[in-house]
Amino acid sequence: MINMATLSALCTLEGHQDQVWCVAWNPAGTLLASCGSDKTIRIWAEEGSQWVCKSVLTEGHQRTIRTVAWSPCGNYLASASFDATIGIWSRKEGEFECIATLEGHENEVKAVAWASSGNLLATCSRDKSVWIWEVTEDEEFECASVLSAHTQDVKSCTWHPNRDVLASCSYDNTIKLFKEEIDDWSCYATLESHDSTVWKVCFDSEGHRLASVSDDKTVKIWQEYLPGNQEGIPTVGNEGTWKCVCTLSGYHDRTIFDIDWSQVNGRLVTGCGDDGIRIFSEEVGSDKNAPSFSMSASVRKAHEQDVNSVAWNPKVSSLLASCSDDGLVKLWRFKDGE
Amino acid sequence: MAGFSSALQLTDLNDFITPSQECIKPVKIDRTAGKVGKIRIEDDGTYYNVSDTGVETKLQKAQITLNDCLACSGCITSAESVLITQQSQDELYRVLQENMAHIANNESFKLVVVSVSPQALASLAAKYSLSMADANRKLVGFFKKLGVHHVFDTTFSRNFSLLESCREFVRRYKESEVNKKVLPMLASACPGWICYAEKTHGSYILPYISTVKSPQQIMGSLDYFARCMGATPDNIYHVTVMPCFDKKLEASRSDFYNDVYSTRDVDCVITSGEVDLMLAKENISLADVEDGTLDTLFGADAMVGHTGGGSGGYLEHIARYAAGQILGTELQKLNFKSLRNQDFQEVTIEADGKPTLKMALAYGFRNIQNIVQKIKRNKCPYHFVEIMACPSGCTNGGGQIRLAEGESTLKDRLADVTGLYNSVPVQSPWSVESVTSLYEEWLGGVDSEKCRQMLHTQYHEVEKMTNALTIKW
Repeated sequence: MINMATLSALCTLEGHQDQVWCVAWNPAGTLLASCGSDKTIRIWAEEGSQWVCKSVLTEGHQRTIRTVAWSPCGNYLASASFDATIGIWSRKEGEFECIATLEGHENEVKAVAWASSGNLLATCSRDKSVWIWEVTEDEEFECASVLSAHTQDVKSCTWHPNRDVLASCSYDNTIKLFKEEIDDWSCYATLESHDSTVWKVCFDSEGHRLASVSDDKTVKIWQEYLPGNQEGIPTVGNEGTWKCVCTLSGYHDRTIFDIDWSQVNGRLVTGCGDDGIRIFSEEVGSDKNAPSFSMSASVRKAHEQDVNSVAWNPKVSSLLASCSDDGLVKLWRFKDGE
Repeated sequence: MAGFSSALQLTDLNDFITPSQECIKPVKIDRTAGKVGKIRIEDDGTYYNVSDTGVETKLQKAQITLNDCLACSGCITSAESVLITQQSQDELYRVLQENMAHIANNESFKLVVVSVSPQALASLAAKYSLSMADANRKLVGFFKKLGVHHVFDTTFSRNFSLLESCREFVRRYKESEVNKKVLPMLASACPGWICYAEKTHGSYILPYISTVKSPQQIMGSLDYFARCMGATPDNIYHVTVMPCFDKKLEASRSDFYNDVYSTRDVDCVITSGEVDLMLAKENISLADVEDGTLDTLFGADAMVGHTGGGSGGYLEHIARYAAGQILGTELQKLNFKSLRNQDFQEVTIEADGKPTLKMALAYGFRNIQNIVQKIKRNKCPYHFVEIMACPSGCTNGGGQIRLAEGESTLKDRLADVTGLYNSVPVQSPWSVESVTSLYEEWLGGVDSEKCRQMLHTQYHEVEKMTNALTIKW
């Protein structure tokens, strides 16, 4: 007999005055940043047994803040806003201070992400482009490349866990991979399979698998096949080929907006437009080339409205954060089944 | 929007030259008294209003005239499609055929003049494996066979661009002692850059841009030529052959419309790629075309070029002139230092006891971004920046001939084009006799009012459209 895994609510963090778009844990797992349509960023931390709001960062943007992302060192926070700019916040002196505003995108910036190597930032926008920025020694941010590979609004961008490779996904239904070659960055792979807008992609901890979620209500798992792979999948040059090896359909009733792959427990969590949060685990003995995932736990009505973002704590395996159009941030405890 | 430089594509060109998806022009409705009747649609699509008393009246089709469009501020004046069809090889054919008919009927006809840019010529020479001189002679032959009367090289008008740029730089440098907002001076020959600057950065960047016209537009202003031919600008159909599509936008700027003669300085821009399509349509290789006779109105009987790279050589010429005028030294060799990428290079000019001059080349959108942001934050270390929208500069323009199946690699083709471009013997603009004499005869001297009118232009901030109706989803 198998004991069911459970996902239970830990606490609700109130404070945002409008829909909350994104939640992000700092690399140490001690702070949670959230942002939303009220144009603020809130920083939450545990104090005793409570989670409290430690800071509210205002005056950084003139419109909705869509995504926040922590730098790998944990000292900087980047915010992507509908006001077409990206804010860079530094907490070197204790309190967060906006040290730079990156301009260049034509319109709403949808996402920002830091590469693990530390000096690269990626941003993407409704202007259909993906920008790569380099951080110089004196904390200056310079544009390294402007990539117009997508044909529509680019919803999100995510870096590979240990390579300077970027994945982006778009309203054009594709996922694209970018890397630097000689003098410039370019798109070297396009992953097509979803029937509608791809809202988010994320890599697993090794970086050989990718998970994507879409308006088509499915989760897709992609596997990388490197040159010389034993399955005989053809490759081009010295890059691997990505193939969709699993599609999870029938679990979600509406658009899936976010997905996160835990670096600690290997599970996937999704945030959906049907107000639910779901956890998926790969089955024991699953074939790498045709993996099977099952839904371990779910909360059908995790929030009162669309769940916009979900994030596993990078250090504490059982801790998870979510946020929603309902203006709330919630923390959850995941308990594994037997 | 294939072909336009990335700077223009990113700024959503449709924002300022677009067929409006949602016309917001209110249509005047003639309201007749009485109750609203029913509308009946016939099989052929005509609408009839059936009043409550049963009287049928056929309804007029709602019409929006072009004048309605031009007068309305909700949309932009020129539809992109109209613009493109007005400037293409098809349009050139049409004009040439019409002209031939006029000539045949002894009616008044237009003098058709084609100005070819050396970068466009290099693209043709590379495709057909010809030397620049051979490609030039054959292109002249090709055009003249089609009914073109004269073919010129824009290198000639580029002399004026370069000379004026040099003089303007020194003027600005001197003024920078009292006014910080005149340097860095930014090159103005690239319309992709100009359109992007006007649209996105507006008033804070425009004062830094050189007011000198591009070689294309100076060629168009040379009414001296018209006078020599006994013609007026409205009798001339001026075509230019360029390496990019952005030049088509430049030609259609209202600043380059001659109000006196109601004609554009440049009527039609075609790309080297479009010339190649013309050759394909005639089913002939440029190599097989019979040599034509070169036009020597401007004194040149052999091709000459300029130093400083495939985008006109603005930095090199200004650097040398400035070194002489400001630092009192003669530059031997310019030492370029590549910065973050090959399209971003800087040059430092030093002389004992004199202030250092720093200049840079910034090609491609990402490098333009960095320069503009530095200027915005008052952190730009350069006195002059040669800005071009296309990575690798004009020889790699978006309108250059594309590679066919199996034909070489992009890198090799660009190397060929650049090599051919550089193979033309150079001449300093300061020593071109016909240029010096034109300054006297046509412009009434250097620094004259006519110089300012003919050789300089101005820029205009373009208001950003935030009307949701115009967003192209």
